[in-house]
Amino acid sequence: MNRLCDSMEPKVMDDDMLKLAVGEQGPQEEAGQLAKQEGILFKDVLSLQLDFRNILRIDNLWQFENLRKLQLDNNIIEKIEGLENLTHLVWLDLSFNNIETIEGLDTLVNLEDLSLFNNRISKIDSLDALIKLQVLSLGNNQIDNMMNIVYLRRFKCLRTLSLSGNPISEAEDYKMFICAYLPDLVYLDFRRIDDHTKELAEAKHQYSIDELKHRENLMQVRLQDERARQEELEKHKTAFVEHLNGSFLFDSMYAEDSEGNKLSYLPGVSELLEAYKDKFVIICVNIFEYGLKQQEKRKIELDTFSECVHEAIQENQEQGKCKIAQFEEKHLSSLSAIQEESELPNIEKMILECSADVSELFNELMMLEMQLVEQLEETINMFERNIVDMVGLFIENVQSLMAQCRDLENHHHEKLLEISISTLEKIVKGDLDEDLPDDLRALFVDKDTIVNAVGASHDIHLLKIDNREDELVTRINSWCTRLVDKIHKDEIMRNRKRVKEINQYIDHMQSELDNLEYSDILD
Amino acid sequence: MEVLREKVEEEEEAEREEAAERAEWARTEKMMRPVEVRKEETTLTQEMLRDLEKKLSEIQIPISAELPAFTKDTIDISKLPVSYKTNTPKEEHLLQVADNFSRQYSHLCPDRVPLFLHPLNECEVPKFVSTTLRPTLMPYPELYNWDSCAQFVSDFLTMVPLPDPLKPTVQKEEKVLPKKYTIRPPRDLCSRFEQEQEVKKQQEIRAQEKKQLREEEERLMEAEKAKPDALHGLRVHSWVLVLSGKREVPENFFIDAFTGHSYSTQDERFLGIESLWNHKNYWINMQDCWNCCKDLIFDLGDPVRWEYMLLGTDKSQLSLTEEDDSGINDEDDVENLGKEDEDKSFDMPHSWVEQIEISPEAFETRCPNGKKVIQYKRAKLEKWAPYLNSNGLVSRLTTYEDLECTNILEIKEWYQNREDMLELKHINKTTDLKTDYFKPGHPQALRVHSYKSMQPEMDRVIEFYEMARVDGLIKREETARTMTEYYQGRPDFLSYRHANFRPRVKKLALSSAESNPRPIVKITEQFFRNPAKPAEEDVAERVFLLAEERIQLRYHCRDDHITASKREFLRRTEVDSKGNKIIMTPDMCISFEVEPMEHTKKLLYQYEAMMHLKREEKLSRHQVWESELEVLEILKLREEEEAAHALTISIYDTKRNEKSKEYREAMERVMHEEHLRQVETQLDYLAPFLAQLPPGEKLTRWQAVRLKDECLSDFKQRLINKANLIQARFEKETQELQKKQQWYQENQVTLTPEDEDLYLSYCSQAMFRIRILEQRLNRHKELAPLKYLALEEKLYKDPRLGELQKIFA
Repeated sequence: MNRLCDSMEPKVMDDDMLKLAVGEQGPQEEAGQLAKQEGILFKDVLSLQLDFRNILRIDNLWQFENLRKLQLDNNIIEKIEGLENLTHLVWLDLSFNNIETIEGLDTLVNLEDLSLFNNRISKIDSLDALIKLQVLSLGNNQIDNMMNIVYLRRFKCLRTLSLSGNPISEAEDYKMFICAYLPDLVYLDFRRIDDHTKELAEAKHQYSIDELKHRENLMQVRLQDERARQEELEKHKTAFVEHLNGSFLFDSMYAEDSEGNKLSYLPGVSELLEAYKDKFVIICVNIFEYGLKQQEKRKIELDTFSECVHEAIQENQEQGKCKIAQFEEKHLSSLSAIQEESELPNIEKMILECSADVSELFNELMMLEMQLVEQLEETINMFERNIVDMVGLFIENVQSLMAQCRDLENHHHEKLLEISISTLEKIVKGDLDEDLPDDLRALFVDKDTIVNAVGASHDIHLLKIDNREDELVTRINSWCTRLVDKIHKDEIMRNRKRVKEINQYIDHMQSELDNLEYSDILD
Repeated sequence: MEVLREKVEEEEEAEREEAAERAEWARTEKMMRPVEVRKEETTLTQEMLRDLEKKLSEIQIPISAELPAFTKDTIDISKLPVSYKTNTPKEEHLLQVADNFSRQYSHLCPDRVPLFLHPLNECEVPKFVSTTLRPTLMPYPELYNWDSCAQFVSDFLTMVPLPDPLKPTVQKEEKVLPKKYTIRPPRDLCSRFEQEQEVKKQQEIRAQEKKQLREEEERLMEAEKAKPDALHGLRVHSWVLVLSGKREVPENFFIDAFTGHSYSTQDERFLGIESLWNHKNYWINMQDCWNCCKDLIFDLGDPVRWEYMLLGTDKSQLSLTEEDDSGINDEDDVENLGKEDEDKSFDMPHSWVEQIEISPEAFETRCPNGKKVIQYKRAKLEKWAPYLNSNGLVSRLTTYEDLECTNILEIKEWYQNREDMLELKHINKTTDLKTDYFKPGHPQALRVHSYKSMQPEMDRVIEFYEMARVDGLIKREETARTMTEYYQGRPDFLSYRHANFRPRVKKLALSSAESNPRPIVKITEQFFRNPAKPAEEDVAERVFLLAEERIQLRYHCRDDHITASKREFLRRTEVDSKGNKIIMTPDMCISFEVEPMEHTKKLLYQYEAMMHLKREEKLSRHQVWESELEVLEILKLREEEEAAHALTISIYDTKRNEKSKEYREAMERVMHEEHLRQVETQLDYLAPFLAQLPPGEKLTRWQAVRLKDECLSDFKQRLINKANLIQARFEKETQELQKKQQWYQENQVTLTPEDEDLYLSYCSQAMFRIRILEQRLNRHKELAPLKYLALEEKLYKDPRLGELQKIFA
């Protein structure tokens, strides 16, 4: 298909070419003159047509941020590239090129219409990002595997598909297969699929499709489960008590504790460990539940606060709008009065009055704003105090619960030490009944060794508990600081914006007035 | 001699008669009391129906008992059943009892009014009041509940004042209640709140004015009250009392039969009760009515408060209270003692009146002749039956400024079944403002149309059912120079469009209003917020100043802002120094932007926006003209509708719906013919001949043959007879005609033109008759052999003559 072009020199997509194309395809007639006068920015272009230009490589398109429609058909493009920035693209035509694989489309999430007609594509893939795809044209390619169709099942909006001229379209089952596997399809190879065909196809492939559906469902369910779990964990994390609703902390204490694991084989230790674990887990769950409760409280507090602030701002804005509306009404009538007035001194007087009105409005608006700022400041400070208090209380309580954990650990340590020493004594005396694993027996060399081993285990446990506690405290504190900072910053931003808005408006009014003065004097 | 005193326990009564409800007509100063419902029995449908019956039964009284004079003229006595004209022995007995009771009563209470016990009915026969009540069940659901039932009764009755307002027709009554139609006190014209406000401002002036007003009012009140005062407390009236208990009636209340309104028993306008009755008994009020009816206790079982006339009809009930009764009786009336037992068995005789029948037409017509006029103070209410007026008018309320009802303030007319769905027409005479209200379904989706004149381009407000309109128009207001439209639910979010016009330029060329629209000066359009667009691109208001070629835009305000962007386009086409047209210059678009953006500064953007607005302006202008045309169309349509005032007829209304009536009649005719045919085919030719033979036996062949021959010969004879008959008539006619002709020829000279005309018409008629007879004769001659053969055939096939067939077979 590109034989004609083959003989010609490939062209480069440079600025000149783009400018030319934009100029040619831009506004015409009067608007065109204006456009020429001003120049057209690439980012304002919505549609671009670059066909029959012998382009080999897509390039230089990054400026066309808002492009909706791009036609690059009838070139000699070999690779889809350089389109990453065109995220608003809805229609992309790459037909009659030399493309071999589908790629580089991952950012074009808005794409609805994609034409790759007459290329050299042999496999349909890399289209996952195109969730809005409605029309896909892949005719005259080299797709030879029916299973490519199954890939298209994920595009829920796909209504039109063309695959004629591919090796698979030769297959006798081609149409039936596609109708069965893509039941939402309306047009295939530019023809409407009639209901009868659909029914036939469905009946024919029912068994395999059912199986496929079953698998898809299973996958879906698994995905959902995974997502639900993630969400749950996320929720716990925002409460800073993740993994405390079970034996996770306890298990992690023993995970890196080789001595502790060995020691658990001592007679009587496993029962001890069991009891220890139970108690430990109960405390953990306590912390967990307390954390969730506190999180809920904090959330309510925050919601109430945001709601109140929002209401206050809304009310203030209403007042402001009302003031402006009143002013505008008055201003309009005085402006028309000025225009009707012919006496120069009178005009000047009226203009003075007007500008007094404008500054009056400015004062009023600024006063409103200042008032709001003060009110909000007070509220924000109150909220800050409360939230800090809540966080402090939470930390305190968690710390006391953690202390209980530590007590348990200490207790356990003492017991373990006792058992170890008595076991050591027994071994020394040689009247130990049970068999001990070899590595455990190796610990019972002398008293120091065994005490050290037990001590090491104890240290590891305490470290884990401390770490968990530290993590919780740090995270909640930083959350709190960030939250308060953000609120302050938002408020400052809001204030700046409002002041800027007021100033801008007043300036506009003032300059309008000045212009009037100026033009009047000219007259 | 006997006064029957009975204590009636309502509950027992109810159980026994289960008549469930008693309609009691209280009459004393006359009162009618309707039915009472007592006891909280589970409401059975039957009982309910009875309740209904009772209520309906009330209807009769005014006609038969109270207003004999009135009914006499309108009712044909001869057609009434015997029970109306005579008294049964039992009724006679009852009348004697009543007389006796009455005599004792007047003896014991000489200063009270004689009882209203047995007025003459329309046939001048005395009838006891209770027997005029006959519980009847009516097929109309509206009559099932007291309020709609009372409304119907009040509509159905015509009020005729008593000849003597102090007495019911026959008997004298002392106390009188004020009439229902007493004028109510005039309205307090000044609002208290306003007064207070004003008093604060200008106390003295107000005080004076108030005084004046009050004096005025007093004068008015006095003027109005003067009349009723004279007879206050002396007038008689009958009304209905509903006792609590049954059918979820929570407390006793009165219903006035003339208005259909209910009143509390505490109402001051009911001054007292002399007696009350239902279809079972009659009670006299022994309580003092000094405080109107407020202190009355309606426990009819209490013989001290309510003197009954008949011993209760419930035996079981009586047994409970008998001892009390006899005790009391012993003390009070020794005379009665002996007779008591006897009397107890005396039941109220069955009602002598016929069951009320209200035809659906009468029910629908409601008022006598379908029309009723009620005069209120400063107002007149007229009611008509549906379909009575050809324009669908069903009621009209006229309010007046003055008591004499000469200056009309406003008129409200209600319509029904109008094809144009007109429901209410309100004419305010002071402002001359007419307002038409429509039900959903008008072809132009009209809801309200208020106007002063049907001429276009005048003040008017048209409201629409916006759901029925494609363009979502709610309201269109017009004045001579403006037109304002309000919209809702449009895809382009337009909410308001206001157009100012300039007076029409007078053109010399003849042109009608349609082709010469008024020039538009200004169009203002407002839009709702379109959530799909950012606020700074969503136009809130655009003003097309057509005369100045200026377009003003105001955008919506962003949620967190207090100012909104504005933009103004001046569309002057100017030419620069070189003679080139200036397409767009920066000063053609003045804009204020809350958040200045780069692309909006571009001339191209502004140019495109302006071009777009130009197109929009054209469209808007077009829309305004379309609206004007639509108004013209609506006005035209309204005029046509007013002129035609067609009424709709429900397809279920078989009486009025011509089509369905025709269809039904056609069906009936077909049915009838079918029936006739069947009868004919079932005619048994053989029956008279078979009757001669002993029944049940099988015919022998000989008998069969004879039978057949007889039958055939008989038939033949009949055919001949018929032919002869026709022949005879034919000959007679011919002879007469000949005679007449002869007579005519003889007297031709002396005949007057009238006689001649007479003769000629006779001749033509006679000729016609002769011709017909001739035709019939010929036809008979033709058909007779065929009929004969047909019968023969039939006889052969008749199974009873099977013997015959055998032979021939």
